[in-house]
Amino acid sequence: MATKKFNHKKSQEWFKRAVDVIPSGIYGHLGPAEGLWVPTTSWPFFSERAEGSYMWDVDGNKYIDYMCAYGPNVLGYNDPDVNAAAMKQAELANCTTTPSYKMVEFAELMVDTVASADWAFFAKNGNDTTQAAIMCARYHTHKKKIIFVNGFYHGVSMWTQKLDYPGVLPEDVANNLYVDWNDIPALEKLIAENKGEIAAFIATPYMHGNFVDNVLPADGYWQKVRKLCTDNNIVLIVDDVRCGFRLDLAGSDHFYGFEADLICFCKALANGWNVSCLCGKDFLKSAMSGLSYTGSYWMSAVPFAAGIACIEKMKKLDTPAMFRKLGTQLTDGLKAAAANNGFDLVVSGEPALFYLRIANDDSLFLHQDWVQEMVSRGIFITSHHNHFINASLTEDDIKYTIDVAEDAFKAVRKRHPEAF
Amino acid sequence: MTDAKTLAYINLYAVLGSLENLCVLDEDASALLTNKKPITIGIEVKDGPSATITFKNGRCRMEDGIGPCDIKLPFSSCEKFNGMIDGTVTPIPSKGFQHIGFLLKEFIPLTDLLAKYMRPDPEDLKDERFFEISTSLMFYTIAVAIAQIGNNDEVGKFSAHHMVNGEILMSISGGPKATIRVNNHRLITVKKGTDTPRALMEFESIKLARDLFDGKVNSVACVGEGKIKMGGMISMVDNMNRILDLVGLYLA
Repeated sequence: MATKKFNHKKSQEWFKRAVDVIPSGIYGHLGPAEGLWVPTTSWPFFSERAEGSYMWDVDGNKYIDYMCAYGPNVLGYNDPDVNAAAMKQAELANCTTTPSYKMVEFAELMVDTVASADWAFFAKNGNDTTQAAIMCARYHTHKKKIIFVNGFYHGVSMWTQKLDYPGVLPEDVANNLYVDWNDIPALEKLIAENKGEIAAFIATPYMHGNFVDNVLPADGYWQKVRKLCTDNNIVLIVDDVRCGFRLDLAGSDHFYGFEADLICFCKALANGWNVSCLCGKDFLKSAMSGLSYTGSYWMSAVPFAAGIACIEKMKKLDTPAMFRKLGTQLTDGLKAAAANNGFDLVVSGEPALFYLRIANDDSLFLHQDWVQEMVSRGIFITSHHNHFINASLTEDDIKYTIDVAEDAFKAVRKRHPEAF
Repeated sequence: MTDAKTLAYINLYAVLGSLENLCVLDEDASALLTNKKPITIGIEVKDGPSATITFKNGRCRMEDGIGPCDIKLPFSSCEKFNGMIDGTVTPIPSKGFQHIGFLLKEFIPLTDLLAKYMRPDPEDLKDERFFEISTSLMFYTIAVAIAQIGNNDEVGKFSAHHMVNGEILMSISGGPKATIRVNNHRLITVKKGTDTPRALMEFESIKLARDLFDGKVNSVACVGEGKIKMGGMISMVDNMNRILDLVGLYLA
């Protein structure tokens, strides 16, 4: 299949306007710098509309979007059921002086859905929930240190950043301890060295770091972590912001056979409507009640209504099973297309959030070249981050993606004969 | 946020080290050393860096550590050495008084010329050749300073700790190149390019490089506009850029 390559003239015009009035034009993970658009000419900067698995940029180019807004698109962009629930609520009320009863309905649904949850606390972004979890753990334990797994990302609060990040002081990260993923002896040693000082262990359900193959938990890893935390009065926090509801509607801790004390949700919670949720065990409810922690839009009713509709639809469709099947089908096809053209495409992580890397070189140059060939042919993927499956993705979409991948591999192979 | 020891390493290897490039780029600098007897200066800083600089045939070459030298300049502390670079401390040779004439007639004019390029008068920058030499010298100084900060500064070491092994090619399109070599989180700068980069960062023009060095444009916006190209293991570039943020603090 000979696929046509896109141009991004209007995107670039909009970006020129953006840099005049917005720091760096597009900041953060959706921008060209953090998003690693190599080269930037192959990527669309701005979108115009989205539907299901597709996104159209301002130049009218259509993409199958495997980034799903970096996770929030779980049922398909503009899902009619979720949007209808949101619109119905919008006609009644959204941001009001007393919160809508929808908050209670949503909390009840979360507690019924998430296996380890005895209560639910709502906010807006994933970072709001990781921050709340750390504060709750410190307040409950009256201890200050936090254990992180190397390669972590838990948001943008000062304590989640690194010593060398702009604007961060050594004091901001002075109580952070670090351990490698899946390394129980190192974790035991760290806990022994800081006995009585550790408030919490925070980690994602599996290691889905950037630039590296993603790593699943070793057999028995989480169960050993759970026991170490329990034995040492350490609050076990699972940051399920990225994986949440994509592996298991009862929570990713449930998927891996353990119970978190606190679990953070955001991305897949309401199919793009802005709400996040911290769920916790009963013994932490009092501590959570005592925090001075709120926000102007945290109790808006429209996202609550959207969240309820989203979770109910995910249950009805059994989306985790669907994601596993579609993700496996897609990545098997991509690997085969790679092999047909002499490439070794490594697939890692869970199929619902697959991570890709061409392993023919150790520098990612070939991988980045292939990724830009994919994007410029209408398959939106990234070179450094895991991808996401959503429920509107069809088998035809997958077949088309694999066909485009064949073209993209051929183009890269032609450009880099020295690599073969 | 800065420490005297790291600054001493930068001052010796990055700032004085750029004399090597000055002698290549500037004819007047080269002329100061042409048809003269070769001479070697050893600089030794207590609890800090040491290097041997050889001036020969219109060129200058710096080597790490103290070797055989005609003139030896010892410094009792990093602060004292940094003072010499600032012009607040006068160095006293422990060896080579008979070569004092070189220090006065060649070495000091050479460092004055370097200072003219490194802290330029805005009027001078209007001259295209001066602009190119000045920006190239800044480029080499910054490239070497990256390694010194990554190896010595506490925050810089944290960034280096997160860098994988390999070579980063840093370059100005059509202009100077440097390679930052990472091995077990220790950094070495080589003032030429590499054919085997694991990552790269290229500025589209010498004008852009100058604007970035002077803080007139934002590097993240430049990435978006395609004026800075990055590729390969970009986590290496990302960590290097965190060190680059510190270069400005030390060289301010």
